[in-house]
Amino acid sequence: MNLPRLPWPLKTLSLASLACMATAAHGERPWWSPGDGDPLPAYVEYGNHAGRLGVLNTDGAIQTRGHAFFEPIGPTGRACVSCHQPADGMSLSLETIRARWKVTNGKDPIFHMYDGANCPHLPPEDPASHSLLLERGLFRIALPWPPRNERGDPVEPEFTIEVVRDPTGCNTHPVYGIDGQRREISVYRRPRPAANLRYVASSRFGVSPFIGKTGQLAAVDPDTGRPVNMNMMADAREPSLRSQARGAARTHLQLGTLLTREQLDQIEKFELQLYAAQVESRHGVRMDEPDGPSSLGPRNLAKGEDGVLGNNTTRYVFPMEDKWALPEGREPANEAEAHRASVQRGHDVFFFRTFWISDAMHINTVGLGNPIKRTCATCHGMHMTGMDTANGWMDLGTTNHPWALEPPESPWAKELPPLPLFKITCRADLPPHPFLGRVIYTQDPGRALISGKCDDVGAIVIQQFRALSARAPYFSNGSAANLRELVDFYDRRFNIRLTEQEKQDLVNFLEVL
Amino acid sequence: MKRLLQAALLAAVNTAVLAAPSPGTRLSFVACPIIRDTRSVPCWLSEYEGQLYYLTIQSDVSAPVQPPMLGHQVLVEGVVSDAAPICGGVVLSEVNLSVMPERDANCNTLLPADERYVIDFNPRPPGPSSGRLAFGGQARAGGVEPDRPRRQAAPPSGEQMIDIHFDFDRGVSFRHPSDLSGVLARARQVDARQARVIGHRGAHRLSNGTLLRESENIAQRRADEIASLLAGAGLTIPIQKEVRDTVDEADGFEDWRSRRVTVVLTP
Repeated sequence: MNLPRLPWPLKTLSLASLACMATAAHGERPWWSPGDGDPLPAYVEYGNHAGRLGVLNTDGAIQTRGHAFFEPIGPTGRACVSCHQPADGMSLSLETIRARWKVTNGKDPIFHMYDGANCPHLPPEDPASHSLLLERGLFRIALPWPPRNERGDPVEPEFTIEVVRDPTGCNTHPVYGIDGQRREISVYRRPRPAANLRYVASSRFGVSPFIGKTGQLAAVDPDTGRPVNMNMMADAREPSLRSQARGAARTHLQLGTLLTREQLDQIEKFELQLYAAQVESRHGVRMDEPDGPSSLGPRNLAKGEDGVLGNNTTRYVFPMEDKWALPEGREPANEAEAHRASVQRGHDVFFFRTFWISDAMHINTVGLGNPIKRTCATCHGMHMTGMDTANGWMDLGTTNHPWALEPPESPWAKELPPLPLFKITCRADLPPHPFLGRVIYTQDPGRALISGKCDDVGAIVIQQFRALSARAPYFSNGSAANLRELVDFYDRRFNIRLTEQEKQDLVNFLEVL
Repeated sequence: MKRLLQAALLAAVNTAVLAAPSPGTRLSFVACPIIRDTRSVPCWLSEYEGQLYYLTIQSDVSAPVQPPMLGHQVLVEGVVSDAAPICGGVVLSEVNLSVMPERDANCNTLLPADERYVIDFNPRPPGPSSGRLAFGGQARAGGVEPDRPRRQAAPPSGEQMIDIHFDFDRGVSFRHPSDLSGVLARARQVDARQARVIGHRGAHRLSNGTLLRESENIAQRRADEIASLLAGAGLTIPIQKEVRDTVDEADGFEDWRSRRVTVVLTP
């Protein structure tokens, strides 16, 4: 299927012309089908509910025909672009997923039964079989049990795991379940953006042969033999862009053979030259306006330095230079100015508003104390992305009880819990998890399914903050439907007691990243 | 009159209980930590035999003394100093803190800021730093650059013994990447042909006379873990593992040193 992406006159232009700029109309949700073959301009904008997203390819326009990122590879009909859509900040929003279901009557390759359904054994064309994808934007990730580490070596886990709740039927299935033929655990996660990866994959900060937060062995890039920052994927199971591409081809694309070196080169090069960020707000404020903040918009994003800890007042996480601050006592002259001022205030809440960070594994356990009086930027400290700088998995409570989002259990409740629930019992001869003890209930054990460590249960690699408006819902399990729910989660989790104004300012700030 | 004498005696006893031990007294105790907020960074305290002791303040990961955790007791070792009290606590010097592994829900005291207590010596504020980490070193691309002047030391030669210290009853943690990298570097420098990894089980003689022993299998766990990590990081020479029990050696003087692995590198 070849749905329109650009206004038709642009399709007749040369690549050189397209290199200047292409613009998709407001409200349009352009879809890139695998194998479409149209060129991707050097710069393109897409409308979204919060304004416009800009996608910048610093190497210029590229021809997607024959490009490994865009061509269907393997029997599923999928390509990398299937789940990493330019209009969705190189991720895949729930809005887009639902639109594809509607347009294709559930036949788009993203709904492939292997991982686009709650479990492969379910009836293919029933929306209920794909409920986690259609309701939360979640794909099934099947991981081996007992765990295997980044090198594929078996790991003796420090814990046992039981299935407490199995709404998808997959974790107790005779083939796909933990005790089934394949010995797998199914967890359900959002696809992460395949943009701004120069930052995400940078190994210029805090990388050594040993993981900074735990002292355990760092993963090694299989192609270079060097340790990496382990900031890719929710569980850091893939050490490099190339290994991630291989793994995704093997699983999501069900490719029976290996990607060629040329295909890997193409994918890696493309991912390292691509930047996605919001470029215009709902109020028409341009993020790339002259003399604006130096962190906003994809062009500024592309100019930043990778491998920088930004949690300091010399190298901010998201430099704003107070460009949008209103002089004290002055009222905004118009809606745009009011919006700029709100974004600036939201930034200041993110960067300077202290609260007690408590009982968060891999942040309160790394020599800072529990609790620690700090700010959002303590955990979200990577310059330009808001990720952690290295080895960025933490348990902020998104998947572990008691903080993970769960519908109320009562005789009157109509909503059933959509996600599986696992009971983790840590070995008695080892120290317990410092905050959760030896018995932990979790929707997704996260990093622990790779490391086998009790301390890693529910620890998830922090996601980048860019292009958020293009790719709701949020958190690895899609439990925050929008940015307000994301802010509310943190407010509850850490008892921050944000004011209504602070919450709105934070949302406005996050929206324009 | 009798009642007056009783009251005076009681007051004297109370004063004796609440008076801090004299400066220079070495203390070792296990208690709940207490955190007190201030206008800047919070300070960490602990109470022992009715006396409040100041342990440290919040700073960052480079701090020489890192704060304990609410939800756990802390093993405190230190020497009573004659410095002015901080945050209402008698200051301990030579402080060594170790978070006890098991959880203790009773350790949950967070005191509000009190204008009598001011922290004006904090090297970094509670939010972002000013570009420098608290105790030497600057955050920059490529990692944390040490701020200390570097001396030109003579290259090591001959057999090398390197001690790696641990928290009570714990194995490898965030404290150890630099120690482990140091062992790898030293092995390269001396062209080591063989390594011995000696895991120790330690103990603490507390100030009240109690002997606090680590778990019986901790020496083996430490030796296994360190040997495995060094081998995994590329130390390809033969690694021999040994275990030692030093429980009987605890005497209340820097007993934290007993919680260790000694790596011996032989060229």
